[in-house]
Amino acid sequence: MEVCRLTVDTWKEFDQNIISHSAAHHLMAVDDLVSRLGYARVSDVARQLGITRGSVSISLRPLKKAGLVEQDENRHLRLSEHGQVLVAAIKTKRHLMQRLLAQVLGVDPQQAEIDACKLEHLVSNETARQLLSFLRFLDSKEGRGREFVEAWRGGTEQGELKTGSAPTAREAESLGENAGGTGAQGSTV
Amino acid sequence: MSDLSKDEMVGELSRLFAEEVEAAIRYLHLSHAVRGIDHLVVGPVLKNGYEKTIEHAEVIARKIRALGAVPKLEVNLSLEPASVNAKEALEMALTFEEAALEAYQDALRRVGAEVPLEEFIRSQIVVESEHVAELKQLLVE
Repeated sequence: MEVCRLTVDTWKEFDQNIISHSAAHHLMAVDDLVSRLGYARVSDVARQLGITRGSVSISLRPLKKAGLVEQDENRHLRLSEHGQVLVAAIKTKRHLMQRLLAQVLGVDPQQAEIDACKLEHLVSNETARQLLSFLRFLDSKEGRGREFVEAWRGGTEQGELKTGSAPTAREAESLGENAGGTGAQGSTV
Repeated sequence: MSDLSKDEMVGELSRLFAEEVEAAIRYLHLSHAVRGIDHLVVGPVLKNGYEKTIEHAEVIARKIRALGAVPKLEVNLSLEPASVNAKEALEMALTFEEAALEAYQDALRRVGAEVPLEEFIRSQIVVESEHVAELKQLLVE
């Protein structure tokens, strides 16, 4: 009964989440355009996402209302401070999910990217912090993380752990963790 | 001499076609999302918006066919089954009408010396500007 209640609450939370999959892509498109071109217009976002201007304008309405996106008198878009924090966290979650799926679980990199893209805006900061901590454990020089994954993979040929780049302090910060991190053992955040 | 190739012209028109078709679908959905007395007040405005935008889409599709191509249509819409009041519906309509107007203004900058297309886009800018002005007026009063 308790589990059922939790499932219903989660569904409601999911439904009311302002950061839908589409919203996350709009925010990231604005962020990407501003960092590449120095500005982002509705037409640029529409072209980048391959959708109509009408769609972009409608999708931006709740994001503007929520104070995540701002538009100046030249109709140039930019992320608010809150929007920037949110985008940084989404990007970090995508990167962490991608690493977990591709480099640890051995999912095909392209599929890992697709799945990470689907999950990036849904994963809570708490889960992302634990994932960060787990990946740090796997990256630890003591080798226990490597042994752990290799044991899990059963010593098959594809069982080599490709550790890739370690989570950065910036990623930790975007999830609300102190920049110093929690060390290789990754105590809970 | 035209600055645009035939494919580029078809591309420009296809983008405008998608804007108009999408706006028509939004008008249609909005006209049924407004309920009660509000529906009596803005229902005809939204229905008229639907008819006008579908008419524009038809004209654009004919222009694409005249260029020997078939209209390309990519719309990605998921419209929620939530009711809206008259003001919200008009604000929504204003948002996508302004976007359509900007799309025509952008297209005008790109069509270069292609006179018939330029003339068509100019006339659409006039029409879309009127729609935007009408919606703004309704939102003020």
